[in-house]
Amino acid sequence: MENKKVKKINLSYLLGYIFAPIVICAICYMISYLAFPKGTMAVILIMGPSILSFIWWTFAGRFIYKQKQKKLEKELDESGFKRNQTFYGSGCTVIIDVENGKIALLFFWNPTESFILPANRITKTWVDDGKSGMGFMAGSSRVSFLFKVDDINIRVNTFTSNQRWRMDSDYILTGISKADKMVEILEEARKKEK
Amino acid sequence: MGFIRKICSVFHDDWCSKCQSKMDERKRQLYMLPMTVGHYVSHSNLDYYKQNLIKVNYKADIPTGTYACGIIVYECPKCNHRAVKLSIFLPVRDEEKYEDGMYLENGEMDDFIWK
Repeated sequence: MENKKVKKINLSYLLGYIFAPIVICAICYMISYLAFPKGTMAVILIMGPSILSFIWWTFAGRFIYKQKQKKLEKELDESGFKRNQTFYGSGCTVIIDVENGKIALLFFWNPTESFILPANRITKTWVDDGKSGMGFMAGSSRVSFLFKVDDINIRVNTFTSNQRWRMDSDYILTGISKADKMVEILEEARKKEK
Repeated sequence: MGFIRKICSVFHDDWCSKCQSKMDERKRQLYMLPMTVGHYVSHSNLDYYKQNLIKVNYKADIPTGTYACGIIVYECPKCNHRAVKLSIFLPVRDEEKYEDGMYLENGEMDDFIWK
């Protein structure tokens, strides 16, 4: 598990997540068209998969990700991994064992695999406050911390918005504080491993 | 005039609520509040602050992502009325994200501040 190359996206999971409901809907529509053009069965075959697809796309990703988070935490506790700091990002969960210099990663688009690596595989850590604009126009809609593992940049958002906020707004400051803290802890774990 | 000053004193922390004179700053101290960013919980019970505040000299002594509490003690030079202002904030680089505040006028924190 520790030597595995980090993979942020599991392509088959991503494609399956998007296209599996479309395929199931198409099959059901076809059956309905060929065998049950009218009546209750036709309604079930058309509406059922459509509603389930909507539910799947809206909630299933987060549900699977949450379940895998819980499973990973349980596995880590059993293996003696000390969860000193956990950051539940929307796209990536980062769990740090500062004492033993290890990090565990779980990605939203690759929930089937989790990665436990020695922190010295991180080559760079930094904070991106997303600042754009100058003077009183300066603002951001995203704050994140980033780290580089195996030449892959992993971005974990601490704040995202569909609006742009001033750099001194509470949301941005909270995001920066969280990102700064995570970078500091990652660096601490890196030093421990060295 | 007295009435206007009374209204104005509501908006000035350093104005005496009894005689509306400008109060002197008697003490100013920074503390670390052991709560981390994203986990702030407001406490109305002052015993919580008395038990958990840790004295620090500089903002730099507070770890990243940890809350700070600034305490300012005011005293009126005319009527000796004392007030204590507690400001809870999150230090973020050069900025401060204000979280919570309390204004105490009945010596509720005196045993902690002057111990």
